[in-house]
Amino acid sequence: MSVNTESVIHDLGYKRYDGPRLGRAEIVRSLAWSSFRAAFGFGRSFKAKIVPFLILIVLCLPAIINADVVSGGAHRILDYDTYRPDLRIFGMLIFVAVQAPELVSRDLRSRVLPLYFSRPLRPADYPAAKFIAFFSACLVMMWVPLIALYLGTVASLHGGSQIWHETQALFPGLLIGLMWAIVLAAIGLFLASFSGRRAFATGSIAIFLFLTWVLASIVIQAEAVKVGGIHAVQGPGPGPIQATAPPTPTGVKIGGLFSPYTLMDGIRTWFGAPLKNGQVPDPHSFGIVYAIVTIALVAGCLYGLVVRYRKAALS
Amino acid sequence: MEPSPPGVIETAVIDTVGLTKVYPGGVTALQGLTVTFAAGVTGLIGANGAGKSTLIKTLLGLLAPTGGTATVLGHDCVSEGEKIRQLVGYMPEHDCLPADVSATEFVTHMGRMSGIPATAAKERAAEALRHVGLHEERYRQIGTYSTGMKQRVKLAQALAGDPRLLLLDEPTNGLDPAGRTAMLELIERIGHEFGISIVVASHLLSEIERVCDQLVAIEGGKLLRADSISSFTGASQVLLVEVESDDGLEALIADLGRRGLAPVKGKDRFQALVPLAGDDTFDAVRDSVAGLRLPLSRLEQRRHQVEELFHDDTVGALSGDVAGETANVR
Repeated sequence: MSVNTESVIHDLGYKRYDGPRLGRAEIVRSLAWSSFRAAFGFGRSFKAKIVPFLILIVLCLPAIINADVVSGGAHRILDYDTYRPDLRIFGMLIFVAVQAPELVSRDLRSRVLPLYFSRPLRPADYPAAKFIAFFSACLVMMWVPLIALYLGTVASLHGGSQIWHETQALFPGLLIGLMWAIVLAAIGLFLASFSGRRAFATGSIAIFLFLTWVLASIVIQAEAVKVGGIHAVQGPGPGPIQATAPPTPTGVKIGGLFSPYTLMDGIRTWFGAPLKNGQVPDPHSFGIVYAIVTIALVAGCLYGLVVRYRKAALS
Repeated sequence: MEPSPPGVIETAVIDTVGLTKVYPGGVTALQGLTVTFAAGVTGLIGANGAGKSTLIKTLLGLLAPTGGTATVLGHDCVSEGEKIRQLVGYMPEHDCLPADVSATEFVTHMGRMSGIPATAAKERAAEALRHVGLHEERYRQIGTYSTGMKQRVKLAQALAGDPRLLLLDEPTNGLDPAGRTAMLELIERIGHEFGISIVVASHLLSEIERVCDQLVAIEGGKLLRADSISSFTGASQVLLVEVESDDGLEALIADLGRRGLAPVKGKDRFQALVPLAGDDTFDAVRDSVAGLRLPLSRLEQRRHQVEELFHDDTVGALSGDVAGETANVR
């Protein structure tokens, strides 16, 4: 047999697509899902998974230690509302600073946005999908350690009432986690949407979250010192707070407005949670200002994001 | 290139009436543009800033016109933008590809963004990439691709959503001559074999005239002229002769004139255009070049330079009031 050395091209022609077409809502869902996966580095290289998973593991460490302690017969060592505040503040700061640009800056950098906007999506759909995705990713980062804490504790409990009591304690923690996820995701995406350069985006988010937090902490401390020392207002670390703590000075209340972290902590205590490991004592009637500022912050960030992409759709 | 094959259905895919776009800053990008694009491959010709990109964005329903109306495939651009974007594939002029994903993944994702379900999107991505001529390399990261390959991926993502119409903005940008030819062949194939209507925006008329059935020329947001390519060129075929010598070119033109031909100087240096009148013309050029011992660097059969024809008309069109003028492309 002679061997035919010339390759043969089988032209199969162009095939039309006759199947169902998904609507806008489905497309948004699909974009949100792929973005959510991207927030954890799925569908990307191994390197992209390191940061999110390392942070998730580190955030879960206290819960794992707690499980060990509780199994020895001791009480739960962490609260659901504050968890480990320092770890959570910095862990989430790094997660948001590193992963928000992964969802947003990449598309800006590669200038892929016109391709999205030339499809059935509306300009607001893109930021909406990104927010849903990143909010969900932040929620995972907030809730997984809490659920680990809960399961680790419940495993050593006996009796339904104990478990019910523990479950009741978990819910406020989950709500606070929800608030963190909304606030941090909105801020992170908004700041990231200004730069196609990852390093700049990451830097601006990290600097914003860190500096505002340092500023708020300094103001709170300084104002607390004026009225007789930080310990008079703020409990000296872990342990029950003083029942006779003086009313929170106005300076402290205002200081808490300077950072998303202290805003959320103020709302936490405003809703009746003990100060304990937190930073901002109960702002009482001033709490409404905390709520308004927080809602305005989130709304402003989301509005800014939508405006940003309405412009981008035309570029 | 042959004129439009019989398979092309002559119906309007794009219709604009008095389309006007004035940007908030006061810049007028489109001025009462009234034009009809027929099915098939249409060249949208205009210099940079003529309003090509504004027109494309308006047709996609991304920009609201400040006046007039436009319909694409029978859908209104203002009220049915979503429907239009489902039926239209768009290839932007600039880079628009992420570097760190493979072409397969990217085109699949963009197919899904067009509303194709996951499994079907994968199949369509593989097919679209095959059609544009990307094979094994489609699994490689896009960042490692050449410009020509990237242009093909851009075209493939536009095909992934199974469009009825493709809007291609300067598809040959940044390509070398071989890459340009390949891209144009691809466009012609998609337009004439796949039955997808195409609008190719370009500022290089001489380039895209080879693949277009009709041309629409705009300048300053106004219509200059819209017509079928054959009405521009007629049957006049010319032979482009390029010799690398200025004196030689003069001598060649004189000599060809003596041989009964009517050569003219070309647009570029060293080039002469000889009206083609059968095989004898080739023989005459050969004999003349050989007789004068000239360094012949190019001999190419082409249509009359449409650009020149356009230009002659441009003067007339500009002097009259073209706003509101209706021109039908057949």
